[in-house]
Amino acid sequence: MPEGARVGGRVVQQLPNALYRVELASPGRPQVTAHVGGESGLLRLRPGDTVEVELSPYDPGRGRIVGRRNGV
Amino acid sequence: MISKSWGELQKMHRACRIVVDTLEVLARAAEPGVTTKELDRIARDQIAKAGARPAFLGYRGYPATLCISVNEEVVHGIPGDRRLQDGDVVGLDLGCVVDGFYGDAARTVGVGRVSDEARRLMSVTEEALHAGISMCRPGNRVGDIGHAVQRRAEAEGFSVVREFVGHGIGTSLHEDPQVPNYGPPGRRERLVPGMCLAIEPMVNAGRSDVRVLDDGWTAVTTDGSLSAHFELSVAIMPEGPWVLSEPCPYAAREAHA
Repeated sequence: MPEGARVGGRVVQQLPNALYRVELASPGRPQVTAHVGGESGLLRLRPGDTVEVELSPYDPGRGRIVGRRNGV
Repeated sequence: MISKSWGELQKMHRACRIVVDTLEVLARAAEPGVTTKELDRIARDQIAKAGARPAFLGYRGYPATLCISVNEEVVHGIPGDRRLQDGDVVGLDLGCVVDGFYGDAARTVGVGRVSDEARRLMSVTEEALHAGISMCRPGNRVGDIGHAVQRRAEAEGFSVVREFVGHGIGTSLHEDPQVPNYGPPGRRERLVPGMCLAIEPMVNAGRSDVRVLDDGWTAVTTDGSLSAHFELSVAIMPEGPWVLSEPCPYAAREAHA
């Protein structure tokens, strides 16, 4: 059973409602709006933080931050 | 990712054996007129008879033992009242747990008489899986697997799905690392002995884009083109890959891994 793909990204902007604008390392989807996944243990992210994002197959513009990453 | 001991690999071998044997039974049962729910029932009974437990049932709320993805469905199709028809291309994806260790495998079969294109898509996807498996040796990297899969699929004019990936497997269904079916060689994690990976190319006859239906699970090709999916769980051994549903092909096994 395949798993939803995760990609590296960098937080570029904090949005209202605990959403973040994340610039992705993967080609094709340069930026997504991402919420912080409940199991990630992350409280507050700041622009410049590098994170791991699970992309949403429902909506190409959205994703879920599942953890921090050292470098994109 | 935790490297598995020889004893642990044997448990994974048992789990994978049960999955692949059950897939063989399902492949024979996938005939015109049978419902996908009936196939799920067969899978559940076979796994119980073998003394194992279904791995997918209840995983993140998944409601069945089997994933069954027909034609333009890519993966994660939920069994139901749909009746298989002559010419359908049917992906069967199954997992089970034995003594706490997971096995995961998938294959795609044609129902009755299928088109030449469908037949070619299925054989190329299976070849792409084996191209990926051939990269499973210590010192190579996870990116080498995806690169080999992608090259094989795209050489035939097909495309690989990006949104879903293979994965490490062991005491959980999904462990690190993720194993994409595309990308440059020489990147991502280094392969080490004792590592177990579920390698699973999802190949579309048309474009690579997929979307998920309102049931929250079923992924379909955006352009409606056919899709095929093959998967095997593989252990990295010092000598090379061990397809865990097969007997270990290397000698003096207790000494390593």
